Amino acid sequence: MAKRLENDTIDLGSTGASFLKMGAIVGAIGLAIALFGSFTTEMKLERFFLSYLVNFAFFLSLSIGALFFILTQHIGRAGWSVVVRRVSEGFAANVGLMLVLFIGVFLGMGQLYSWTNPEAFANDPILQGKQPYLNTQFFLIRILVYFGVWILLTQYFLRGSAKQDSTKDPKKTERMQMVSAPGIPLTAITVTFASFDLLMSRDPHWFSTIFGVYYFAGSFLGYFSLMAVFFCFLQSKGMLKETVTPDHYHDIGKYMFGFTVFWAYIAFSQFMLIWYGNIPEETVWYIRRFEGGWLNASYFLLIGHFIIPFFILLFREIKRIPAALAAVGVWILAMHWFDLYWIVMPESIKGHVGISWIDIACFIGMGGLYLAGFAFFMGRKSLIPEGDPRLEESLEFKNA
Amino acid sequence: MTDQSSGQKKMKLHGLLGEFKDIESILKASAAIRDKGFKKWDTYTPFPVHGIEKAMGIKKSLVPKIVFTCGLIGGIGGLGLQWWTNAVNYPWIVSGKPLFSVPANIPIVFETTVLLAAFGAVFGMIFLNKLPQLYSPLFTSKNFSQGATNDKFFVYIEAQDPKFSPDRTRELLESLNAVTVEEIEEEEHAWSPSLSPKMAWSIGSIVFCLILIPPLYIARAQAKDRTTTRVQLIPDMDQQPRVNAQAASTIFVDGRGMRNYVDGTVPRGGAQTNTGYYTGAENEEWVSNPLPVNRALLERGQNRFDIYCAACHGIDGSGNGPIAIRAKRLREPNWVPPLAMTDSTVLERPDGHLFNTITNGIRNMPAYGDQIHVEDRWAIVAYIRALQKSQHATLQDVPADKREQLREEGQK
Repeated sequence: MAKRLENDTIDLGSTGASFLKMGAIVGAIGLAIALFGSFTTEMKLERFFLSYLVNFAFFLSLSIGALFFILTQHIGRAGWSVVVRRVSEGFAANVGLMLVLFIGVFLGMGQLYSWTNPEAFANDPILQGKQPYLNTQFFLIRILVYFGVWILLTQYFLRGSAKQDSTKDPKKTERMQMVSAPGIPLTAITVTFASFDLLMSRDPHWFSTIFGVYYFAGSFLGYFSLMAVFFCFLQSKGMLKETVTPDHYHDIGKYMFGFTVFWAYIAFSQFMLIWYGNIPEETVWYIRRFEGGWLNASYFLLIGHFIIPFFILLFREIKRIPAALAAVGVWILAMHWFDLYWIVMPESIKGHVGISWIDIACFIGMGGLYLAGFAFFMGRKSLIPEGDPRLEESLEFKNA
Repeated sequence: MTDQSSGQKKMKLHGLLGEFKDIESILKASAAIRDKGFKKWDTYTPFPVHGIEKAMGIKKSLVPKIVFTCGLIGGIGGLGLQWWTNAVNYPWIVSGKPLFSVPANIPIVFETTVLLAAFGAVFGMIFLNKLPQLYSPLFTSKNFSQGATNDKFFVYIEAQDPKFSPDRTRELLESLNAVTVEEIEEEEHAWSPSLSPKMAWSIGSIVFCLILIPPLYIARAQAKDRTTTRVQLIPDMDQQPRVNAQAASTIFVDGRGMRNYVDGTVPRGGAQTNTGYYTGAENEEWVSNPLPVNRALLERGQNRFDIYCAACHGIDGSGNGPIAIRAKRLREPNWVPPLAMTDSTVLERPDGHLFNTITNGIRNMPAYGDQIHVEDRWAIVAYIRALQKSQHATLQDVPADKREQLREEGQK
């Protein structure tokens, strides 16, 4: 075991520094292009903020998925996942960066959320009933509470696990398992309400109680895809080559497969109940997504987000070839991004899908910042939790 | 049986059992036996050993493919079942959705897919593991039956393997550091180690007879004429608790099973705001037939008249129906003879009055309002008018182009 670790590169090294530098530059340029480019469109600044919200929800979901991953692995006392956990802790800790990036959403609240306008409530008894919940002050308080919970949990796991690297204290693992038990319902509730606030309130009349699960399903799936892509990338840069094996990819691939089905299950559960009930106050949200070009986008989501990855991930060999799994990961991440675009946009852009270069610039920009944030939170920490008592089990892990 | 009765069991070699002391040695031995090209052999370990499949040269399991195929059949079958039953064989609209409505079918498609995939996994695994295996000559070895699930590792090579030779295979096992090598024997000529052919036949015929019972029972039930449900799988649905008409009930305070409408409610079609149509009179004036008189209405009226009225009033409305004739013959003291439809009383009465008489009855004639639908009562009224015309028609009632023909026929 020790030999395999010694022969391997298990820290970010210069890659971390270039992540920080290049990420910050790319981030600034990308967001600036999106910001100023939006003035060339008819919607002006609103177009930028819409794009910003899509990308904010996307990168936030990856960190939330990472947090869920850490929590589930601790509570299940998982052995296989130890070697891939530190990177997850780094991505989860990135919610700190997402809190900073929330400033963009805050600035765009007037354009993004119709309920911020007092006139919206004037002749609307339904909205008046929701006013105690849907108002700017309470919204901001809630957002701070969500991020408070997430930052506390993610920092606890990242720092605790990093400290264990030197102390090698097995009791720390038990304590982290204890914390993950209340951590799961806490994260579940905050993620549910965060998705209500950030995404569902785009149409303040519409409601769906399963919406939080829908966002969670995409987050978890998105993070497993990111894992496949990111470890493949790290290994191509010569890191963790001996440590992360096809057997670990295989398990990540199984999770990707499982949560591809889970996402479809939840997405369909939400759709079918509304379709079957056929009540105008509920169907309105889907009707907007079935009009004009959005209908094809909805079919594309069904095929691209479920059917294609489902059949590809059935194959055992694809899950065991890192490059192949990473390619599927890129595809699923793209579909997850499109899923969020499909959730955010139709309230403002009606009748056609209208993805533009502003969305791409905004994605690249925020992606750069996200990688920089990851490098910042990882710092000089090892890429694997060296002090974890189950590290050896993870290194020797074999899929039967 | 002959072997047993003679008291001698002829034994023959079934295979060689080699015992190994740990994982390492059994992995090494397995790889060596695999490389020698043996086919009919297996290993037995007290717990799953990583890498044993590779060492034994076991090919990738067929189970995933079975599961996929079964899942596919389940999915397509579930969809096809709903399509056939709901859209083709017995079209049935549910919740205003199309007859073949995929979103509504998905939950069942999901269930049938999972169900058949799970069946494929379980039964495929059982089948590929050659289970259920009720007997194995290996259990004659005490060492095996006590050690294989405890702390010993075994390799068993069957004598049927083409590469098997009692001496060389024993040498091979010993050279691979087997702790012991044991000969496993079984009875020669035994058709099956635990079942004689005679026993198998008798058990088989009993099972066959038992299997025949359900289809025979169904065939008998099909052939017999019965008025009640043949097989009551769910008796609740055949024998539901209910209140018979006019019967008492303890549920309500007034002890009556039949209930009036709740105050202030009107049943569908019960508003009857058009009083002339429903009672025959409007503002204390008899109305004339509100329905347009045409051939269809008259034929309907004739049909209803023949059913309800002709028994007394006669098919031709002359008042000579079979009941009237019989009552006359019997000299019934309280019998009031029915009027002929051509009687001047009936002739002069307005349509609404006739309708009212049918609805509520008069003298001996009972009320027919509960038996004959409103529209049919008006149809009968229209038919009575036709009957009257048939007896009191003038030449003016005959269409102009037919009058000449009628005159000619009259002169003949």
